[in-house]
Amino acid sequence: MSTQTRHGILPQANHDELSRQEFVRSFKIHLASRVSPGNRAIYDTRAEPEFEKEHGRKPKDHREVGKVMARQPYYQMWSSLQRTSQEMMWDAVSSAVDRQRDQLISTARDLSGKAGGSLTLDPSLETPRYHQAVDIHCMPGGYHTDFTDDDVTAGATYDRAVHIYAMGRLGELNDDMGQTPVLWMKNEQADFQPRRILDMGCTVGHSTMPWVDAYPDAEVHAIDVGAPVLRYAHARAESLGKAVHFSQQNAEHTNFEDESFDLIVSHILFHETSSQALRNILQECHRLLKPGGMMVHVEAKPYEGMHPYDAFMLDWDTFNNNEPFWRASHSVDYQRLAESVGFDGSQVITKMVPSALGERAKARTTLHQGGDFAGSGEWFLFAATK
Amino acid sequence: MSRKAKGKRPSFFENQEVDRLLAIVMAVAGEVSVLRDRLDTMERLLDARGVLTRDDIEGYRPDEAVEEERQAWRSEYLERVLRVVHHELESDASGESRQQYEDTVKEHQKELSEKLT
Repeated sequence: MSTQTRHGILPQANHDELSRQEFVRSFKIHLASRVSPGNRAIYDTRAEPEFEKEHGRKPKDHREVGKVMARQPYYQMWSSLQRTSQEMMWDAVSSAVDRQRDQLISTARDLSGKAGGSLTLDPSLETPRYHQAVDIHCMPGGYHTDFTDDDVTAGATYDRAVHIYAMGRLGELNDDMGQTPVLWMKNEQADFQPRRILDMGCTVGHSTMPWVDAYPDAEVHAIDVGAPVLRYAHARAESLGKAVHFSQQNAEHTNFEDESFDLIVSHILFHETSSQALRNILQECHRLLKPGGMMVHVEAKPYEGMHPYDAFMLDWDTFNNNEPFWRASHSVDYQRLAESVGFDGSQVITKMVPSALGERAKARTTLHQGGDFAGSGEWFLFAATK
Repeated sequence: MSRKAKGKRPSFFENQEVDRLLAIVMAVAGEVSVLRDRLDTMERLLDARGVLTRDDIEGYRPDEAVEEERQAWRSEYLERVLRVVHHELESDASGESRQQYEDTVKEHQKELSEKLT
């Protein structure tokens, strides 16, 4: 299990806070490796036979699997524990971050400007409905709430909690989702040398940093709608010595000029938005890209072609982890969508790519168990050249 | 700040109290784990500073007096933890019922309407 890199703004934990967080991590690993796999056994031996008895055939999709699984006591127990582990995770991290909030805010101020990056906030920016309806993946306050002036709470909480949530399987800097498309670009698009890069929906910049390292001569911009995550992202980048220009903007409509970027990237942004927003975001990508420029987006695995049981388990977050767009976003026809906003269909790539963590990724559970980004050591990649 | 995330909590069991109880049990399990880590820290620090070794702890056997004291403490502790179970037995033995209780409430209400209104 990897430990998290202690950069200059990472919230600290006292003895008991750390123990509490480590307990949640152990709890989550135990659920993923010892409890969740039992759901498959229950499905095979009880749920599917029950469905066949009632309908004379096997379930055809994740919805039908859900109807018989929802009444299995074992599944109920796992679900209830899984939800509880998620709430305990936020509580264990939030309580530590709350205690040191003032210190973190002052550290963020001190770090600003150390590495040549910048931070531009827009207090007039409207927080989109898909952020306000529920607090995404049960993080209290979501990505956007300021609990005090110049707050960094959401960023600090997110940075630490993601490491626990992924059970360390996103690497020491939580950057696997950036490293993976970077590795793909280096292998498959070796001649492509972007001079200006935009990361959309960057949160605290976990996935932004690998692009800075991969293209050291490029000017890197990163946007998000949440002010507290951006303040933290800026301090974190400066502390890590990476120059990134962060600004508070909605990826659906940015203030950048037409054809001003060579490369636009995003990492599990889409499923936190909405169908309309997703279309707007891709339209915006098309507007912002220079001719010959590329967009590269990373998401969790689509349901298409997946065994109905696996799709059902992957779908758990939709109703149980405050991810209301998760289900719909896993059935998007990206080829058609890209064409409808102006991309040439022959230039669209959709494929699964192996995690850049390579050997270490094999330690991930390969089962779709919910609560681990369905962490099966690979990511869905959606790319297109304008 | 509130540490409750916006969005109504799902329940999985037919009786949602079971979901709540499970969450409470796991929170307590978490705190037991925190305490255990704290003890482990103490043992390791004491060992490292030569105050006593971890073998001293592993090899420690309570004498009869200590065991009696511990037994007394555990008995009181279990009594507290299982309070509701013991009380139920007591309640049955005394023959009390909810009906009896509700009748008492009714008597009060009757008395109120007769005497004070």
